[in-house]
Amino acid sequence: MSDASQETDNPGYGLMGLTAAAVLAALGAIFIYVPTERTEGVVQRIMYFHVPSAWIAFFAFFIVFLCSILYLWKKEREWDIYAHASAEIGIVFCSLVLITGPLWAKPIWGVWWVWDARLTSTLVLWLIYVAYLMLRAQSEPGSTRAKYAAVIGIVGFLDIPLIHFSVLWWRTFHPDPKFITTQGIGTGNETSMNITLMVALAAFTLLYFLLMSLRVRLERMKDEIDRIRKERLYSH
Amino acid sequence: MDNLGYLFAVNVFVWGGIFVYVFSLIRRSHSLKKDLDLLKETLKKDSGNE
Repeated sequence: MSDASQETDNPGYGLMGLTAAAVLAALGAIFIYVPTERTEGVVQRIMYFHVPSAWIAFFAFFIVFLCSILYLWKKEREWDIYAHASAEIGIVFCSLVLITGPLWAKPIWGVWWVWDARLTSTLVLWLIYVAYLMLRAQSEPGSTRAKYAAVIGIVGFLDIPLIHFSVLWWRTFHPDPKFITTQGIGTGNETSMNITLMVALAAFTLLYFLLMSLRVRLERMKDEIDRIRKERLYSH
Repeated sequence: MDNLGYLFAVNVFVWGGIFVYVFSLIRRSHSLKKDLDLLKETLKKDSGNE
């Protein structure tokens, strides 16, 4: 068994350095490299935070979905740890999506929020995974909690295809996809915009893996403390 | 439309949010490590007394 306290002494400096470099490159691309969009002005640059946040939220919830299936199948605590960690990070980035979206919308649409299909289904996604984390926080640790959480983690993910296709299936205020379109990848934007978006996506993806390593380590330490406490209790 | 100040505020807000989360993870990690070290020390003392 791995020693959790020893793991905290090695927080992955390589990944930290790589993430910091990628974040700096993304900020450079967003504020210096990419030209200002003609109709929306500098406010359009919010998209370089909004879109990668959405990508990470969806990716994090996909990991929850995958690990929840693996937990129900194999009943190994490790998959439950990954699902829990990824759900928490997903909520952080989904919150950023729900905040940066209205911050972009106010100067462009004139309103902070509209109850259209894309925005509403994203809010529903956020609420589902808040419920997931509340269930975990309010119930006793163990296989029953993990099983119920896994079911919510799987069912909640079904909202993501709905969010993705909502702008195509219904008439919405939300802009249509510009990066991945029916004509192919990157055909809806200028090259410099695509490069900036890809650098930002890479930076946010590295950030996700860094946060995952920190969050998983935390959960393993909790398990180690529980194990030692139980051992002590039974030895007396 | 000059919204540079607005864009800067949004940027500070996004990175501030991420920083607060990272800080909370590090704080929780330090607190758990302290608990773990304390438990291990107690365990060592217990085994020494037996």
